[in-house]
Amino acid sequence: MTDRISAFRSLAKIAISLVAAVVIQGILAYRLRVFAFVDLPLILTIYYGFTLGRPVASVVIGTTIGLMQDSLSGVPLGTNGFVKTLLGYLAATAGSKFDVDLLVTRTIAIFLFTLGNGALVSILGLMTGAAPNTNLGSSVWTWLLSGTFNALLGLLMFGYHDRVKHAVS
Amino acid sequence: MRTDIASKKPIWITLAIALVFHTLLLSIQTSRRFDTSILRSWLIDSQGPLEKIVDVGIEGIENIWNGYIGLIHVRRDNQILLSENDRLRIELERREEEGLELARLRQLLDLQASGMGKTVMARIIGKDPSTSSQTLTIDKGSHRGIQRDSTVITRDGVVGRVIFVGKLFSVVQLIVDSQSAVGFVVKSSRRLGILKGNGSSELEMEYIDDDNDIKQGDELITSGQDQIYPKGLSLGVVISVKPGSGSFKAVRIRPSVNFSHLEEVLCMTEHVSEVPVGAAP
Repeated sequence: MTDRISAFRSLAKIAISLVAAVVIQGILAYRLRVFAFVDLPLILTIYYGFTLGRPVASVVIGTTIGLMQDSLSGVPLGTNGFVKTLLGYLAATAGSKFDVDLLVTRTIAIFLFTLGNGALVSILGLMTGAAPNTNLGSSVWTWLLSGTFNALLGLLMFGYHDRVKHAVS
Repeated sequence: MRTDIASKKPIWITLAIALVFHTLLLSIQTSRRFDTSILRSWLIDSQGPLEKIVDVGIEGIENIWNGYIGLIHVRRDNQILLSENDRLRIELERREEEGLELARLRQLLDLQASGMGKTVMARIIGKDPSTSSQTLTIDKGSHRGIQRDSTVITRDGVVGRVIFVGKLFSVVQLIVDSQSAVGFVVKSSRRLGILKGNGSSELEMEYIDDDNDIKQGDELITSGQDQIYPKGLSLGVVISVKPGSGSFKAVRIRPSVNFSHLEEVLCMTEHVSEVPVGAAP
């Protein structure tokens, strides 16, 4: 019974964090220009991929948060869903193969995942015709900038996670 | 090995299902076979209220920040601005003062250059501290050629005469002083008389008999007969003519010079019997 309650609590926490990430991302990107380069849903996908240690859960989280992000953006439904699903799975796989507790690993991982996210979303946009004028060459700079911001914010989130983990243990 | 494959199956299946789902979703939107607006609107509607709540919350925080926390330095800024404002106001007043002074000095210079003999410009630095007499102290004395009985004028008219001369400073008796007397001539009728100060801001005429045709509005100028003031300087205007004691009239004169606004004067260091027409104030 206690396990069920605990599991329900964890699930509720994840659900709230997903919704919050998408909503806050939408609002802050509107209010603060710099937040246009930040991708909170992506950071959260990577975060859960690294910390949960459950690939299935990471895939579900990626799918859900991607769809939610799509619904509030102008891209076809499934664009971010597809990419976040894939990245959620890759993050979970990387979490089981690499030592993601290391600061360097986390930084590089978030940076690379951001580049991958940007590239895949752009390619899907080109394929579906949603963004036919996308110039991949010029988008690289945006992805690099986004990767830097995401890495910085991601490190803060992971830092907070580590502190909570240590406090509990 | 078999166990490994079995344990990995769910993730592959989940991943495949999720990716196929998204691919189909993208595909039907691209081919426009199905309308996905219902799904999108459901997703938007489900997140909209939350977005609204967060937005209101952020706006509330912004309001609190802008209305309270952001105003922490306003008091200090306000004080800085107030002191800056005071400084600028003083500066402005000083500049205005300088402008007015310049205009006054220019007028005196014009007067000086109008051919009324040698004159010295002097600044009033003090006023008689007692009420018994009406005198002024000026910042020029004998070293600048000022002598006793030097006539002191402004552009408006006669101020008075020097009664005490120091090396660097002098004391001027105003024509409104009760000890002062000036010979005058009525500009229009050319009638002569003596003007006396009474200690107030006005002048009086002495010994004006009833048959004298002096009237209100008459302009008076110095007659030069007192051997102190040169002839032709403006003294004042008759403001009232009333019956006085005995067979004399009580005539009040408003001086041409406003003594309460005096700051610079011109001292005539060379006695001339008559001021040329056009030069006289």
